[in-house]
Amino acid sequence: MGVAQRSRRWLVPVTAVAVVAGVGALGPVVADASPNLPGISAQDLLAKVQTAKVDGLSGTVRSDADLGLPAIPGAPAGSQQLTEMLSGQHTARVAFASPDKARVSVLDAQAERVWTTDGKSAWAYDSSRREAVKLTVPEHKTAKPEKAVPSYDPQAVAKQFLDAIDPSTKVDVSGTEKVAGRDAYKLRLIPKTDKTTVGSVTLAIDSKTWVPLDVTVMPRTGNDPALEVGFSSVSFDVPAASTFTFTPPKGVKVTDKKVPSQERPQRIEPKQVEPKQTKPGTAKADEPTVIGEGWESVAMIRGAQTGQLTGNGPLAQLLAKAPTVSGPWGKGKVLTSKMVSALITDDGRVFVGLVTSDTLQAAAAKAPR
Amino acid sequence: MSPNEASVEPIENVVVAGRGPGAGRHTVALFLSELRLVFARARTQVGLGVLAAVPLLIGIAVRIAGEDSGAGGFIGQIAGNGLFLIVASLGLSLPFFLPTAVTVISGESLAGETSLGTLRNLLTAPAGRSRLLAAKMVALIVFCFAATMTIWLSGLIVGFILFPVGDVLLLSGSTVSLGEGLLRALGIAVVISLSLLGLAGIGLFISSLTSTPLAAMAATFGTFIVLGILTAIPQLHAIHPWLLIYRWQSFADLLRDPPYWHEIGRNLLLQAGYLVVFYAAAWARITSRDIT
Repeated sequence: MGVAQRSRRWLVPVTAVAVVAGVGALGPVVADASPNLPGISAQDLLAKVQTAKVDGLSGTVRSDADLGLPAIPGAPAGSQQLTEMLSGQHTARVAFASPDKARVSVLDAQAERVWTTDGKSAWAYDSSRREAVKLTVPEHKTAKPEKAVPSYDPQAVAKQFLDAIDPSTKVDVSGTEKVAGRDAYKLRLIPKTDKTTVGSVTLAIDSKTWVPLDVTVMPRTGNDPALEVGFSSVSFDVPAASTFTFTPPKGVKVTDKKVPSQERPQRIEPKQVEPKQTKPGTAKADEPTVIGEGWESVAMIRGAQTGQLTGNGPLAQLLAKAPTVSGPWGKGKVLTSKMVSALITDDGRVFVGLVTSDTLQAAAAKAPR
Repeated sequence: MSPNEASVEPIENVVVAGRGPGAGRHTVALFLSELRLVFARARTQVGLGVLAAVPLLIGIAVRIAGEDSGAGGFIGQIAGNGLFLIVASLGLSLPFFLPTAVTVISGESLAGETSLGTLRNLLTAPAGRSRLLAAKMVALIVFCFAATMTIWLSGLIVGFILFPVGDVLLLSGSTVSLGEGLLRALGIAVVISLSLLGLAGIGLFISSLTSTPLAAMAATFGTFIVLGILTAIPQLHAIHPWLLIYRWQSFADLLRDPPYWHEIGRNLLLQAGYLVVFYAAAWARITSRDIT
């Protein structure tokens, strides 16, 4: 066997590397090829979304968030859970059956958190603690919101919505894509202002049921999504009723909680974009004030406990590294990330928004003291 | 690693079979003798003995600590249901004990022959080289399964003796019968066995490079540790899905209701990828190697 002939044998493992890497890297790309769908206008698509009605669905939802939030070591457990959901990848199984059955189970590493309701009672189960919480939902009269609006015209509502957001946002149907094996239209919203960190928001809308299957938020800079939540698999068959029931297993601690009977809010209003009437000194710490409109909205939280920001806590260390800015509004520290910016003033106000740090400072100048 | 210990190995069979002119009977004989070679080694038997002791140690520790030891995860469930001793033992052996065992056996496989000079005999028959490598790989695969099944069986016996057993609580909060629970635990053992194959492939390749078994073992284990460190660095998340051990912990998805196959499937595909690449590299090395 000659040397050349022998060294040619190394082509086999090299080819194997190329094939494995190629299949691994390109496989998903090929599978996601854009499907051919008839053209549709943004207004028609929005109108269809409103008429979307499914009797049930089940599937797997994946979320992948990279907001560039700094990790705060040693933060309290509650806030850690929040930041945990806003960073990294999560997978959840969801199921829904109209009108009031739902189940969500978040698949953690070797654990699972389950929330389920069959309309009469609701359960929360945490496998890592082996604890279940039962919520008894009081009897409530079944709301009939559909008939409350007699002249409900999807086309008109879609047009109203488009007209309302037209000054601030460009809306178009930017193409098609496959989501969870289904053909979907991409509805894209692009802010017209350059004061926000949001580059675009894209919804993938199923071409048969008109249910949104995926939401992608792109930052203004960079090519990786800041947030993507969407189905990786979905079925529109109504799940079996047993999916939503929960029998507390043996050896699991069960806590009963009664939900106080109260009127449920009729319908959550679309996000308030008008600046609220603010009276100096009346806003409480837990009531954020919104300054600015649309994409440039900035939330102001008053009376934050700035005491813990000084000293040697983890948050204080984070702030110590943050640049100090000052202006007619005072002096403070500014934290910026890919998506979220925050300004913490020395007099205990916190400004947060999906905006650039300059916009934050401009908002701070306009804000009541 | 002493030559005296290894010299008792039945290498004569291998030589005879390897020289055969491609008859199927001879191939089977080669594979069988290779298996005998691996499992007759004292170090293999000691390794399997250590793995069998893992459930025993965990079981005794949990038994002493009592029901309310406050431990979370699968260990915390052992006191209530002995079946979880199998799952917990497999889970705890996966990061260290099982890779160590695979490293030792795979590092030995080709380098051991070279160090004894027996590889020379084996490789003088050129047609037998590919077949010899295949026999080594099959023996490694069988060892991976033997190692996890040892833990499964030991966990089963110790768990049933020391603890009450009954219906099995799944991660999703639903309960299945003991029989199905045992089947799922068996499934976990199979998934973990398959998870070790990528590492076995790497070990086989490194073993073909050197004539010192100890060096092959050290290099294989070093590679494993480097992969572990890379997996632990969050900044490298872009390459994480390509790393051998990134999805090793996905075996627990078999305990969901219904089982969640996505991550397990990805893990097994990745292991297959590693195995193909490194087996091909070992093949290229062994068939193009000069025998001195």
